[in-house]
Amino acid sequence: MPPSFSDIVEEARLSARALLDYGDSFFNPTVRLGVTGLSRAGKTVFITALIHGLTRGGRFPVFEPYATGRIARARLEPQPDDAVPRFDYENHVRTLIEERRWPNSTVDISELRLVIDYQRQNGADRTLTIDIVDYPGEWLLDLPLLSKSYEQWSVESLALSCEGPRAKLAAPWHEHLKTLHPEGRENEQAALAAAKLFTDYLRACRDERFAMSLLPPGRFLMPGNLAGSPALTFAPLEVASDGSAPDGSLWAMMRRRYEAYKDVVVRPFFRDHFARLDRQIVLVDALAAFNAGPEALHDLEAALSGILDCFRIGRSTILSSLFRPRIDRILFAATKADHLHRQSHDRLEAVLRRAVAKAADRAEYAGAAIDVVALAAVRATREAMVARGRDKLPSILGTPAPGESANGEAFDGETEVATFPGDLPADPEELFNGGFRGLSSTPSETADFRFLRFRPPLLERAANEEPALPHIRLDRALQFLIGDRLQ
Amino acid sequence: MSEKTPHRRPATFKLGDPGVIVMDPDETGRPARGTVHVTPEADPALLPVPIDAPLVPVRRGFRWGALFWSAVGGLVLLGTGLGIVNMVEDLFARSQTLGYVALAFAVAAALALSVVIAREAFGLARLAAIEKLHLRAAEVLRSDDRAESRAVVNELLRLAHQNPQLARARATLVSHADDIIDGADMIKLAERELMAPLDEEARRLVSQAAQRVSVVTAVSPRALIDVLFVFVAAMRLIRQLARLYGGRPGTLGMISLLRHVIGHLAITGGMAVGDSLVQQMLGHGIAAKLSQRLGEGVLNGLLTARLGLAAIDVTRPLPFTALPRPALADLAKDLLRKRDGEA
Repeated sequence: MPPSFSDIVEEARLSARALLDYGDSFFNPTVRLGVTGLSRAGKTVFITALIHGLTRGGRFPVFEPYATGRIARARLEPQPDDAVPRFDYENHVRTLIEERRWPNSTVDISELRLVIDYQRQNGADRTLTIDIVDYPGEWLLDLPLLSKSYEQWSVESLALSCEGPRAKLAAPWHEHLKTLHPEGRENEQAALAAAKLFTDYLRACRDERFAMSLLPPGRFLMPGNLAGSPALTFAPLEVASDGSAPDGSLWAMMRRRYEAYKDVVVRPFFRDHFARLDRQIVLVDALAAFNAGPEALHDLEAALSGILDCFRIGRSTILSSLFRPRIDRILFAATKADHLHRQSHDRLEAVLRRAVAKAADRAEYAGAAIDVVALAAVRATREAMVARGRDKLPSILGTPAPGESANGEAFDGETEVATFPGDLPADPEELFNGGFRGLSSTPSETADFRFLRFRPPLLERAANEEPALPHIRLDRALQFLIGDRLQ
Repeated sequence: MSEKTPHRRPATFKLGDPGVIVMDPDETGRPARGTVHVTPEADPALLPVPIDAPLVPVRRGFRWGALFWSAVGGLVLLGTGLGIVNMVEDLFARSQTLGYVALAFAVAAALALSVVIAREAFGLARLAAIEKLHLRAAEVLRSDDRAESRAVVNELLRLAHQNPQLARARATLVSHADDIIDGADMIKLAERELMAPLDEEARRLVSQAAQRVSVVTAVSPRALIDVLFVFVAAMRLIRQLARLYGGRPGTLGMISLLRHVIGHLAITGGMAVGDSLVQQMLGHGIAAKLSQRLGEGVLNGLLTARLGLAAIDVTRPLPFTALPRPALADLAKDLLRKRDGEA
C-alpha cells in the first residue's frame, strides 16, 4: 500500500516531536522504557517491582551500578504529560505487600517518571530519567491494524474465527453474520448487534481455558472511556479483500468506523507512547498458553510477531535519534518464571526464543541488541524437591490464589501447596508441533501442564520499613535495559 | 531427567495433608511407603555472591601520562632520525662508498626497529585481551549469561590453541558446546578443563623459582648479587607464567605486567597477612636460629613465591572459581621440604 497523505503527515509529526525530545535530552538524559506485553503478562507488576526495587532498595547483585553502590538514590517525579493519569504505584505496592493480591487488570493508561541520581564510573554526578507507561495489554493488539484496510482485516478476522477452538466460540456471531448483507443499506441496529456478538466472541476466547492472544481490536475488550461510541461499533463483514464499498451501504458504514477507530484510538496511542521508545521489554506469559494448549501457543506467537512488526527497531545513530528514534535494545522476558523450578528456566527461555524467533532475527539484523530471559518481577514461590516413591519432582511451594483448583480440589487462598507443573520438553519444537494437551481440548486431569496462580509472597516486615520484594532475574533485566546508560 | 521419562504429569500436594511430610534440607532418608516428602531448597538469590576485588583498578579519565611519554618518544625518534639523515648525507659528501654503507645500516636498523615495535604492540594487545577475558569471565560468573559465556569460551579456545598440551582438553570442551549449560557453569567447566594442567605447571614454575632464589641467597657472597639474582628470577618467572597462560609479553609488556603484579600484590597482600605471615615469620625465625643466611634464603624464597602467586592471578585468563587458588602454604611446604632434603 503506498503511503497515504495522512501517513506522511503522521511521520512529519513524529519527526518534529523526536527533534524536540532530542534537544531536551541534552540537558536531561532520558530513557523511554517501553514495557510491552499482552494482557495478563504482568506489566503492572513488573513496573511496580522495578520502581520499588530502585527506590526502596532490593537485592540486585547483577545490576552493576546498583551493586557497586554508584546509584545514590532513585525518586519519583511529576510526569511530563498532564493529560495522562499517574501510575498508582503506592496503591499497587500496598495491594501486593499488605493484601497479598495481584493488582487488578489495568483498564486505562497511566504514566510515571523515575529519576535516578548516580555517579558515573569516572566520578561525575549525573541523573537519568526513566519514563514508564502502563496501559491495558489489549490495546497493543491494535497496532498491527494501522497497516491494514477494513477489507483486509475483515477477511483475516473471519478466517481466524473459523480455526480450532475459536469456531465454536464464534458460532453465534457467524449466525448473525449470515443475516447481514454488506451491500445493503446502512443499519445502526444491525451494526450494534454485530459489534456486540463480535465482542462476546473475543471475550470468550480470553477465558483461561483457551487463553487466546490474537484478539483485535483491543478496545472492544477494554473500551476505556470510548464505550458505546460509533468508533467502537463495527465488526468484520463477509467482503472481498480488494472490493470497494457502495455509498450508503452497511459495508461503507463499517469501513468508515474502522478508519475512525484507527484515527481516533490507535494512532494517538502509538504516537504518544510507542513511536519514541529507546528501550523495550516484551513481557510474555507463555505459561497461560501451556495451560490452554497448542492453539493458544500459536496464537501467542502470531500476536507477538504482529505487534513487534510495528516498532521501530535498529541501531541508534545520531540521525535516527534526531528524526526517527529507534529501539536499540529489546529484552524478551518470559514472565512468571517463579511458577517453574529453576531447572526448567532454560527450557522456558528456549520456548520464548522460538516464539519470537522472527522478530528477534529482524531486530538483530537491524542492529539492535536482544536478549531472552526467564524472569519473575515478584517471586511468589519457593523451590522444593518432592520425593514421591522413587520419583524426584522439581517442584515449587506457594499459596494458590483463592478459586484456583487442582485435582478437582479448590483452594481457599490460605493453604500452602507443593506443585509440580509438568516437564517442559528439551526441544521447544515439540511444543509448537502441538505435542501437548491443554485445557482447551481436555479436562484438567489429563492436561500436560498445570500452572496454578499463586498469591504474592508473605514478606517479613522489618521495623517501619517496606520489605524488599523477592524476584528472579529482575536485576539481569535492568542491567541489560539501562545498565549501559548508567556507566 | 526427561530422557528417562518422556513427560511427567503435573501433580499438586497440599502441605497440610497427612501423607505429605515437609523435611529439612539436611535431613536425609528414604520416603516411607505411601508418603510424599517435600524438601524446600535454599534460595539461590539469598546465598552470598562472592565478588573478588578487581584485579586492576579501573582507569579513569584521559591518560595524560601516556600522552606525555608518546609525545616524548615521538620527539626522540624524530631527533634521532634527523641526526641519522644528516650523518648519511655528510658521509655521502665525503665518499660515495661510506654513504652507501651508512644507508644500508640505517635501513637495517629501521627494519629491525619496526619489527620490534610490531612485536611489542602484538604482545601488549595480547596481554590486554587476556585481561579483558578475565574481566568478562568474572562478569559471566555473576550474571550467568549464556550467550556471553559461549563467547568467552570461544575466545579462550582460540587463546589455548597455541598450547599443544591442551589438545584433548580443548576437544572435550568443544564437545560440550551444544549442551544446555548455564553461563556460570560453562565458565567453570572451561576452567576445570583448560586451566587444570596449566595451574599444575604454574605451581611447579613458582616453586622452582622460589627454591632457586632461596638457594642462591643462602650461598651468595654479596648482597648485590642477591638483589640482582632475585630481580632476574622474578622477571623470568613472570615471563614464564605469562607465556604459560597464553600471553607473549615483550619488554613493554613485561613492564606493564610487572606493574599489575605489584599492584595486585599490594591489594591482596593485606588479605594474606592473616593466613600465612605468621607461619612465614615462624619458619623464618627457626631457620634464622640455625643460620642467618639460611633464614634470609627462606624468606626470599617465600617472597618470590608470593610474587609468583600474584603473577598467576594477573596472567590467568579466568578467575579462580572451580579450582582452588594455589596458596602460599602449599608452596612453602615444597620449599621447606626441599630444604630439609638438602640439609
